[in-house]
Amino acid sequence: MPEEISNTVKSGPAGIAGSWPEHEDTTAKWFLISSIAYFFIVGIIAVTIAAKFVWPSLLGTVQYLTYGRLRPLHVNGMLFGWLLAADMGLTYYLVPRLCGVKLWSEKLGVATAALWNVIVLGAVVCLLMGWNQGLEYAELPLPLDVLVVVAWIMFGANIFMTIASRKYDQMYVSIWYIMGTILWTAFVYLTGNFAVLFATGTNQANLNWMYVHNAVGLIFTPVGLALAYYFIPKASNTPLYSHKLSMIGFWSLAFVYVWTGAHHMLHGPISQWLQTIAIAFSLMLLIPVWAVVYNFFATMKGQWHQLKDNVPLKFLMSGVVFYLLTCFQGPMHSLRSVNAIVSKTDWIPGHAHMAVLGAFSFFAIAGTYFMIPRVFRTRLFSESLGNWSFWFLMLGGLGFFTTLWLGGFWQGWQWNNPAIPFIDTVIALKPVWIVRFFSGILMFLGIVSFAYNIMATIIGAKDNPETAAA
Amino acid sequence: MQQDYVYPSIYFSYFFFALMAAGALYFFLKTWRSGYLGENSEEPKYRMLEDDAPGGQQK
Repeated sequence: MPEEISNTVKSGPAGIAGSWPEHEDTTAKWFLISSIAYFFIVGIIAVTIAAKFVWPSLLGTVQYLTYGRLRPLHVNGMLFGWLLAADMGLTYYLVPRLCGVKLWSEKLGVATAALWNVIVLGAVVCLLMGWNQGLEYAELPLPLDVLVVVAWIMFGANIFMTIASRKYDQMYVSIWYIMGTILWTAFVYLTGNFAVLFATGTNQANLNWMYVHNAVGLIFTPVGLALAYYFIPKASNTPLYSHKLSMIGFWSLAFVYVWTGAHHMLHGPISQWLQTIAIAFSLMLLIPVWAVVYNFFATMKGQWHQLKDNVPLKFLMSGVVFYLLTCFQGPMHSLRSVNAIVSKTDWIPGHAHMAVLGAFSFFAIAGTYFMIPRVFRTRLFSESLGNWSFWFLMLGGLGFFTTLWLGGFWQGWQWNNPAIPFIDTVIALKPVWIVRFFSGILMFLGIVSFAYNIMATIIGAKDNPETAAA
Repeated sequence: MQQDYVYPSIYFSYFFFALMAAGALYFFLKTWRSGYLGENSEEPKYRMLEDDAPGGQQK
């Protein structure tokens, strides 16, 4: 465990031991607990739609259980119910600590958590009823979009006020990424959910793809990296290799990412210059990505042995590898020649799942494993179960990603041959979808073991005499 | 007559993007002047390791 290997920490210039504010962490706890519940529930939906690929008549013709209703529920549930809520919970945990002060307002934080749950539950009802805007990642009806904006303003105000009252002048890189996330989300979400409604045709598609790509690139990427920059040094009890390099990575991401969305419309009816800009900036993404990944690998130099029995670190460093792979894939399939094969095929969900599950969910799971025992002042319920959750998610994820990449290429080559009837390309992919389903089962077992481990830790904390006395 | 909002909505998005880009440029220069890329830029990485009580158990 990190506290047992503190001899790896070099003496820093600003030792502040013994002067910690007493953090309540109520908001962080509520966000984390609800997000884990949604992770489990939406995991069931995920397995169900994976099964529908193999057995299309599964669940009959009940309208609420059709693929068209369940798929947006899976996407929005995982993005907003699980991942963004977990990221927000972990942000409420790490920002006050990095600033050396208490959270500006726990009451406002708890109100934000309550509103977020109203939004997620509202989304479940609306999407199952078929109230859907029909735009990728922006399926939520307008009233829920407005509530998301209100919740985000509450979240942003609380975090920015906490940062404004910080003890230290220089901010750690995670705070920069979190401030970027809050501001970029405002821009990305308003464009993708409001401005897009006033556009039509190709222009609307272009705005939508800018939103979809930047939902990952300017929301989940910066907040995910904020978590990785915080939890990798904390979990390994080793200082970050270079803070200066981390700042270079941050600013290069800030300047490069926003232009890349149009690579989703390569070979489509948009201007060639716009396509070329998207390709050029997609390739330039390799700069911030390598700055980030090199920093993490260099931090772990001499510390790799810790992976053996450190569950958060296993998730974190696997997440870094998946981040590198997904950010290598992205620029490569932005090239016109590769895009002509993989665009709109199963390759894309394979790529998206590696980013959102393999990288950013792994960071959030690691943060949860690190944070929950500390804020509940107890020990993790089971290290062994933690390892099981890692291997289930890792093996399931690998099966899922690789199968869909291979299947996607296969599908793309078939689609590029006009002699093959479309229905034959669907039938040919059935073996791929069977592997996808069983990989999904493994991933779901990972979610179940993670959720059970965390909930048992929280429930078991009540019996801990130290916790009870607090 | 139906109003066409295509171009106003795109101009709105471009304006918002320009605002974000200008903000990023401003804060980047501010960061540079505040010493984040200078000699003393490594201090936060040591401080963050001691930002909580050992094991996270607050006193």
